[in-house]
Amino acid sequence: MSKRKRFAPDETPAVDRTDDDMQVVDYDDHDLLGQADWVIGGEAARKARQQGLYAGYVLFLGALVYGLPIVQTVFRTSDAGSLGQQLHSPVAVALLVVSVGALLGAVVFAGRFRGPVVPPMPWIDLVLIAPLDRALALRRWWRYAAVGGLFVGGLSGLTIGAGLAFAQVAGIVAIGVTTVAGAALGVLASRLWLWSQVRSWPGPDRGLSLLWRVPDALRELHSESLRAHSANTSTLTGSALTGNLRTARLALTRPVRHGRSARLRPGRPFGVLVRRDVIGLRRTPGAFLSGLGLALLGGAVVTWAFAQPAAPSIAATIGLLPLYLGFGAWSEGLRLQADNVGTPSLLGTGEVVEALAHLVVPTALTALVLTGWVAVTGLFGPVPVAAAVSLCLVLVLVVAGNVLAAFRGSPTFVLRPQMVVAWYAMPAVTVVLLGSVVAVLTKAASYTWLSVVSWLVYAVLLWAVSRVRRLTYLHRA
Amino acid sequence: MGAVVVLAGEVRAEAVGKTIDETTLLLPTDVSADPGECVVLRGPNGSGKTTLLRIIGGLLVPSTGTATIGGREADERDRAVRAAVAALLGAPTTYRDLTLVDHLVLIDSTWGGDPATSDDRSLALLDQLGIAHLDDRFPHELSSGQEQLFRLALTFSRPASVVLLDEPEQRLDTAKRQVVAELIRERTTAGATVVMACHDPELTASLATRVVDVVPAR
Repeated sequence: MSKRKRFAPDETPAVDRTDDDMQVVDYDDHDLLGQADWVIGGEAARKARQQGLYAGYVLFLGALVYGLPIVQTVFRTSDAGSLGQQLHSPVAVALLVVSVGALLGAVVFAGRFRGPVVPPMPWIDLVLIAPLDRALALRRWWRYAAVGGLFVGGLSGLTIGAGLAFAQVAGIVAIGVTTVAGAALGVLASRLWLWSQVRSWPGPDRGLSLLWRVPDALRELHSESLRAHSANTSTLTGSALTGNLRTARLALTRPVRHGRSARLRPGRPFGVLVRRDVIGLRRTPGAFLSGLGLALLGGAVVTWAFAQPAAPSIAATIGLLPLYLGFGAWSEGLRLQADNVGTPSLLGTGEVVEALAHLVVPTALTALVLTGWVAVTGLFGPVPVAAAVSLCLVLVLVVAGNVLAAFRGSPTFVLRPQMVVAWYAMPAVTVVLLGSVVAVLTKAASYTWLSVVSWLVYAVLLWAVSRVRRLTYLHRA
Repeated sequence: MGAVVVLAGEVRAEAVGKTIDETTLLLPTDVSADPGECVVLRGPNGSGKTTLLRIIGGLLVPSTGTATIGGREADERDRAVRAAVAALLGAPTTYRDLTLVDHLVLIDSTWGGDPATSDDRSLALLDQLGIAHLDDRFPHELSSGQEQLFRLALTFSRPASVVLLDEPEQRLDTAKRQVVAELIRERTTAGATVVMACHDPELTASLATRVVDVVPAR
């Protein structure tokens, strides 16, 4: 490759011959990309990119106005000394490590179907097919993700550190430490995200060294892979905006391919439905493990919030969401039942019995996790009876929330993004809000009010059962 | 499931029609089928055959006329109607983590099939449809023709006095269409009532005890 000639778009490409008699054409990549930018988006494209700066500004203001007070509330307690000791304990450190690991694992998982580099379809079809340096042609989308990761990570670290310092749980130095740690985590997360995207398509160079060889990682991205990721983005966005969660779910999950030699054992209707869920989890270990990770994390925080006087009540609010999501990861049978409404009946069981059968496995697993954490807590001191009873109430609430989520049906209102988000989040918000009230009342030993709230929890459960019936027959119109 | 009335397979649809807003999906049509009969609905695309089957199956409320199964209003909310009607109207949602034979065992068990022989029954049905060698595959691992055979297996694996089928021959080769015809014939011989939409003249000629021409609205 000894002699090359550069050419601009308005010139005819010149062809040189190298010493080994191979033809070589040299392109001015920057020029060509600039032309493509201008043709596709004109001035509007440049302005649109500047919107990213505005989004960062809004995020910063949001962290300042909402993030900081929330973190302060989280760590505000009557016993800052005990809380500080507990936060430095091996269990708390282990939980932190597990949380960070789960976050990075989620990023790797997401990168399989939606990586950080997702240009628009016309760019993939019309520009990427040109013999340009792919690292240069895709650099822009990578930079959005990289800067976003750095900014969000740093901002999260700053918010948490400042919150800890203002609540007097840590010194002022913590602000700097958490900001740097958050930014580093953000960088690592965005690189893992890209690495996972590269690995979503077969190729010769897929090793971990791509984490620090970003241009090579970008060159490894196959156009078909980019098309698939772009299509997945459209599917997910469309499904989310229309409330079609089955399509979104199927886009996220890998087809099941193993464990086929295991057979579903016949038996009585209820038992065979329960065994169906067990065999389903055996064949989808990813769902089982992600459920386990989330339930362990959420269960630990919730148990700590209920059983430890030094723990702030709002910790329950934080722990309830992963606990709810962990239960959901184990509830595929329930969701598939809901997916099937509106089609002619294949199973001979009634809708409520079927739903109850599909609740057995996730409820048993979640109860096991909570019992385990109560036992662990018991090793360090007595667990109040009220806390144990309230945890049972939380379990009922998580069950009801997941039934509501599975049988939420389709939105029946005019589709606007914020309304779809509210519709989607309703079951989770119900669980988190009501569970938080239970935590506050349990810690305040306000048993009269707690009994009132427990009736509310059972009302949510009845509401969920009525949703099962209602959605099952709603289609007949 | 509790006590459920067993309905005879008498299908009656009298002047049933369906109109949504200003659009007519189905002009008033009569269908009558008794146990042991196979009634074929014939008509061009868009004439309302699927709509008519959905009304007979109790999945759709007719705008005009009445539809009954064994003398009761065809309403899918009625347990007795659900117990009587097996239907293949579109693609049923399958479990992505169950194999073909697991699906049939699950359905068989929920309808009270003898657990000791559930596997044998399920494999025999798959064998009859020529897909026994695919018993340990997952639904997403099938071709479109195999998928249609699997859907038919799901429908035929449950007990029913009325079987509703929407173009059971679709995506099947000639040999497989004969297999399906044999399965339908077995059901009618055993006393079930079959009502199906069909575009295959040979299948219609070999199975139909009566043909109902569904007239398109426009």
